[in-house]
Amino acid sequence: MEQFFYYLKVSWFSIKRAPLPYALTIFILSIGLGVFFANATFYYQINSDPLPHKSDKLFFPMTLLVPYQCSDCKPPSVLSYSNVQKLSQTDIPSAKAAMYSADGYLQLNNDQPPLPVVIRITQRDFFRMFDVPLLHGNIWTDNAARFEVILSKATASKIFGKTDVVGQQLLLDDRHFTVIGVLDNWQMLPRLYDASYNNHLSPNEDIFMSLETGYDLNYLSKTSSSTFDQTDYRQLSTQGRAGALHQLQYWVQLDTEVQQQAYQQFMTNLVNDEKAAGRHPSTVNNQLVPMREIVAYFGDEPGDIKAFALVTLLFLLVCLFNASHLSLNRYLSNQYEFSLRRALGASRSQLQLQMLADVLLMTMLTIAGALLIGYAGITLMNQLLPGNRLFSNWDLTLLLALLGIVFACSYLVTIYPSIRASFGSLNQQLKE
Amino acid sequence: MSLHLLCKVLFSRKVVTTLLLVQLAMTLALLLNSILLAQQTHQQLNQPTGLDLEHTLLVQLKPTMPQLRTYPALADLLERQLAAVQTVPGVIAAAYSNQSAIRQGGNNGNIYDVEQEERTNIGSVPMYFVSKDFFKVLNVTVQQGELPQQSLSLDGPENPPVVLTRSLADKVFPGQSAIGRQVNRGPVAAVVADFYGQRSSEHVMYNSIQVAPPFSVDWGYSILLRTSAGQTQAVRQQLTGILRQVEPNIEIFHIRTLKEQHRQLYSNEYGLATLLAILSALMLLVTMVSSYSNTHFHVLKRQQEIGIKRALGASKHTILVELLSENWLCTAIGATLGIGCALALNKMLAQVISIPALNWWLPLTATLMLLCCVTIASWYPAMLATRVSPATATKTL
Repeated sequence: MEQFFYYLKVSWFSIKRAPLPYALTIFILSIGLGVFFANATFYYQINSDPLPHKSDKLFFPMTLLVPYQCSDCKPPSVLSYSNVQKLSQTDIPSAKAAMYSADGYLQLNNDQPPLPVVIRITQRDFFRMFDVPLLHGNIWTDNAARFEVILSKATASKIFGKTDVVGQQLLLDDRHFTVIGVLDNWQMLPRLYDASYNNHLSPNEDIFMSLETGYDLNYLSKTSSSTFDQTDYRQLSTQGRAGALHQLQYWVQLDTEVQQQAYQQFMTNLVNDEKAAGRHPSTVNNQLVPMREIVAYFGDEPGDIKAFALVTLLFLLVCLFNASHLSLNRYLSNQYEFSLRRALGASRSQLQLQMLADVLLMTMLTIAGALLIGYAGITLMNQLLPGNRLFSNWDLTLLLALLGIVFACSYLVTIYPSIRASFGSLNQQLKE
Repeated sequence: MSLHLLCKVLFSRKVVTTLLLVQLAMTLALLLNSILLAQQTHQQLNQPTGLDLEHTLLVQLKPTMPQLRTYPALADLLERQLAAVQTVPGVIAAAYSNQSAIRQGGNNGNIYDVEQEERTNIGSVPMYFVSKDFFKVLNVTVQQGELPQQSLSLDGPENPPVVLTRSLADKVFPGQSAIGRQVNRGPVAAVVADFYGQRSSEHVMYNSIQVAPPFSVDWGYSILLRTSAGQTQAVRQQLTGILRQVEPNIEIFHIRTLKEQHRQLYSNEYGLATLLAILSALMLLVTMVSSYSNTHFHVLKRQQEIGIKRALGASKHTILVELLSENWLCTAIGATLGIGCALALNKMLAQVISIPALNWWLPLTATLMLLCCVTIASWYPAMLATRVSPATATKTL
């Protein structure tokens, strides 16, 4: 340990002797790593798996069960109520839930100003499939229509000032509902259950309503809905249930390979039967997309973050080359000292240990700089690309990765210069 | 000072020069692509919209009570709101619409000539259901036919007449007059000048308008106002109060000029271009640091050589030009390599974002920019080198 402190002391003296090249190296490395880290934060968070233990078991089935003829069309990214009914007529999935989101206004009573809320209109398996934690109460016992809602913890606190509000009444769009459950803190990021049109970048909903109630009360999807026939979307409870009004996401949980194959077969049979019955004219095109691939399937991966990732990686490389260059100049300037040590009996490995102490010191200073610049970068990116704001948080994995990358980069930019310096001869140095 | 000698000096420091060249090449690559992206964003933000962006205000709002979102209460609300905003001094015209112009997407659908559905079918054409002053607010000129003067219900026995923008009319009825022809949404009554509708549609200037109350306002609706020059901000400040006075049970999402709406529509591109511009500036800074340190270090190492040159009669100016020339040569080689890197980066970026291809004059501009930065950065250490006294040469004796 004493030797280690000695090495650190020597490094410190070396820095004090020529602070400018050292400061420039730290500065360049901090900029490169800070910018890289700012973007890596978004890239890592947006591409993270929100349900690592079961994301490979959740699938979004889509079929071309539509009233128009098309031989090379992708199935619509949202399903009609009647198609969901058809796709639900099997016990193969361990869980299944149709869903969509709508806007509403929530009040405790008519004296309170209405609070704009986003409603997830769904079925009971939603909570089990996506591991939604419940703080108080229960979820619906079945999928029937009911005037019962489940609130997010934040919404309960905002409306009632407390979270234990099971059994309380509230007004949603002037209709009385009873609260039967309150969720615990929950933020599924990215929100892959609603992935089209970049919706997976949005926060979770404020309130949850049963699907049948949503249709009964004519709640229209706030994100994506398409009508492929003469269905009047204002008549959701009647025409919306029977016609080709597509607005539903539908998820099934298929735990095993056998279940997945069986469900694929079920879809094929269903579509063939429908086609044979003359209920749709299109070519069969069934898709069973795993949850982790859903954003890529919809083609909604945010290009801006990807493009910036590519560029920041390039920038980091430039900074590494620059830091190596600065480091080489610094070590060559100190070659006299290295040669003198070699002449006094220090082995090359001892010089390398000295270099490691240098790297350690450089890592500490660079981390501080990179974190500062990274934080500034994230703040700036939140201003310029506010759509990704939810994905700007650091976690322990990210910070540890940063530490590892900074150490590796500091080592990389120092190793060649230090080796080269340790090979210089004292004779040559004295001549110079 | 020959090119051969300059190259010899440069490549006597192989590692340092290689590092510098790679760095210069990458800097140029990034700089070029950033400029391309910034240019594209600039073009997008300045593309013709056919609208008076500065003097048109957009209010996006929604009733918070369900009964206000259904007829007849909705019709009454729309009329009351229009009547109120029209009294504001500075308002030339006001109209409601189920959606505004200049949007990413919205309420849209297929449109086709009913006689030739297969050939003329166009998808995702915005559908506007508006009050009759809509055209006056947008200040679009009528090019053919006559604008509908009556608001007809979409639930009536006959479809309300349709107004098409020029591009759409030409697409559906190529080489023919659209007036009186029947599209799936109704008979065509007029053709108006193009204006920017929805970015996600096949062509941003494709729009179909019907003078009719909105089908539904579950997604909110827009009130559009044209204001006289210099009055826009004054009108804007009064709108919230006036609309709330008419009906307190509304949520006003935003009040914007169409210019702000346009900027909002391209905010991602603007954000990315700004980020890349900042990154390019940082890259130039890094290059300047590199050039500075490179020149400074080599001046220190070559003091004796410079001293000898000075002793042999080289002027200060010759020393300065020699050192700068080394940097210029390095930058020129790096820039040449950089053009190749820029092309590769351009192709990679084109896979994830929309970016134009590289043109011939941009590399020249970027190289000049790089040369300027390198010259500024190496000027001070080169000037220091000119102060090396010829007496330094005696140290080598």
